[in-house]
Amino acid sequence: MIVPQLPTPVLELRDVAVHFAGRAGLFSAAPPPVRAVDGIDLDIQPGETVGLVGESGCGKSTLSNAIVGLLPATRGTIRLHGQDITGASPAKLRQIRQHVQMIFQDPLLSLDPRATIGAAIAEPLEVQAGLRGQALRARVAELLEQVGLAGDDATRYPHQMSGGQRQRVAIARALALQPSLVVCDEPVSALDVSVRAQILNLLIALQRRTGVAYLFVSHDLAVVRHICDRVAVMYLGRIVEQAPRDLFFAGPKHPYSRALMSAVLEADPVVQRGRQRIVLQGELPSPSDIPPGCSFHGRCPVATAICSIERPVLTPRADGGLVACHHA
Amino acid sequence: MITGGLDVAGLTIAIDGVAVVDGLSFQVRPGEVVALVGESGCGKSLTALALLGLLPTSARMVAGEVRLSGRRISGLAESALRKIRGRALSIIFQEPSSALDPLSTIGAHISQAYRLHHKVSAADAQARALAMLTSVGIPDPARRMLQYPFELSGGMCQRVMIAMALINNPSVLVADEPTTALDVTIQAQILDLMKALVAERGTGIVLITHDMGVVADIADRVAVMYAGRIVEIAPVAALFASPQHPYTGLLLASVPHADVAAKAALPTIEGRVPSPRQFGSGCRFADRCPRAEPACAQEVPPLHATAEGHLVACFHPGSPPGLRTMQT
Repeated sequence: MIVPQLPTPVLELRDVAVHFAGRAGLFSAAPPPVRAVDGIDLDIQPGETVGLVGESGCGKSTLSNAIVGLLPATRGTIRLHGQDITGASPAKLRQIRQHVQMIFQDPLLSLDPRATIGAAIAEPLEVQAGLRGQALRARVAELLEQVGLAGDDATRYPHQMSGGQRQRVAIARALALQPSLVVCDEPVSALDVSVRAQILNLLIALQRRTGVAYLFVSHDLAVVRHICDRVAVMYLGRIVEQAPRDLFFAGPKHPYSRALMSAVLEADPVVQRGRQRIVLQGELPSPSDIPPGCSFHGRCPVATAICSIERPVLTPRADGGLVACHHA
Repeated sequence: MITGGLDVAGLTIAIDGVAVVDGLSFQVRPGEVVALVGESGCGKSLTALALLGLLPTSARMVAGEVRLSGRRISGLAESALRKIRGRALSIIFQEPSSALDPLSTIGAHISQAYRLHHKVSAADAQARALAMLTSVGIPDPARRMLQYPFELSGGMCQRVMIAMALINNPSVLVADEPTTALDVTIQAQILDLMKALVAERGTGIVLITHDMGVVADIADRVAVMYAGRIVEIAPVAALFASPQHPYTGLLLASVPHADVAAKAALPTIEGRVPSPRQFGSGCRFADRCPRAEPACAQEVPPLHATAEGHLVACFHPGSPPGLRTMQT
């Protein structure tokens, strides 16, 4: 058998963990650390979109921040283009970071209110690419056009724009240095339905044009199904299932993924009312007090004795998916 | 006019002399869930506040009336409204943690809601509160009664809000984006709870939402709002199966569906919602509408029936063929 030569992944995560130490109070001992992200393995190939889904507190935003270097990893390695960023020198880090950018949920919070749109987009070009003068202005105008804004929008301020337009600015800024990976943290969650469609269309079109890969962090499985090639489901700091899109949406294998999928509301009353909902008991345990064994066992409809003792590892399956469950 | 439930006729709300909600009419029968859907700024939340006489001072109800069980409640004095709010007509908000008093226990919240309208002893009110907490599905309710809002999760706080809103058995509940701030699995729990309570108690619900999935799951009838007006109102199945207003059609199509090819361009709506200052004399959707003709910008299309119970405000109604797979 000839093994095809795979290109270097744009992102390789190996056993990545991000823990937050508890702080001791005046009269109390330090609480146990919050294990927000606790052992993640994930690869992203060039030009690929991987959806990272899960509910609040599952660690998806913490992981995103670690990937772009906003938070240090407690354990494991993060490689961008094969280069390890964990423990890289600041100068090296700065150079590697050009290749990975981030888009946040609320661009109003991530854009400087006192900088014009043009200045916001020009900044990475000046700092990293050393562009000046006419070349800089031309590149800014080109980027604005690429994201569907007008060249003279460069003189406007964030507050003068709508939410959708601001998200376009954030995308232009993220793409300024032609990164190979953009981490999108809930990029359309704060937008109205019709604007959401515009931004999704834009992200897809830009990917076709530039070959950028996306890590698409979202709680919205309908959006993930539309935009992603592969899906990874996180629960309490770990990936419990990972599969190509069609395989995943044909029927997720992990009981948590199944419950998550069954809770997604289809915008069609006939389909929606014909579905059987798996209602999970209880709520997400605290990441500072993760249950032993499988962290989902307390809420899992199919859990047995072994689940509370032994933690299931993410195991490849014949169909190409990966599942961490004793009963999948 | 209907005897039970809520009857809204010609509700018009002005801010700075501009009608931001313009001639809204709809009814909610006992046990019925009527959804008011629309994007940011369409006036749906102002409408919710106006129903309870809670409009901010900048906004004024300038025309129309609101009747509850046949009795006119709009324009009543504050003292009279206080006897109605929380008793015959209740409201729950999107962010339960900001609607609850951080310094009061859960038990105090719910029993006070009861004692405001009933002359009973504190012990009686406590007993009722406990029974109500149990019926909204809060585990270990006796312990929860003594806790403070910060000790509860978002989903639990929303259950407390629902318990407060329903303890006096109101005939109508106004729910303003009740599950928007919640995770999908928790959202599913809350929607199931609301459905059960409606069925059990015959409460009518005005559900304010932007989420077509929530509408598909729980609504009996849907009123679609655009720029302060109802553009279409129909039973839920009819609205999704054959939307008559072009805005409704585009709104439904812009939500990613299972039957839309992955990464295919989603239909979008050109342009932006007009600001109240830009409202023209005709249909407010005219300048973004693919079917608009010159007459649309001149004259307001009246709501008229295209089928039993299906009303649309458009000169060119009709659902476009192949709506779901339509490409831009």
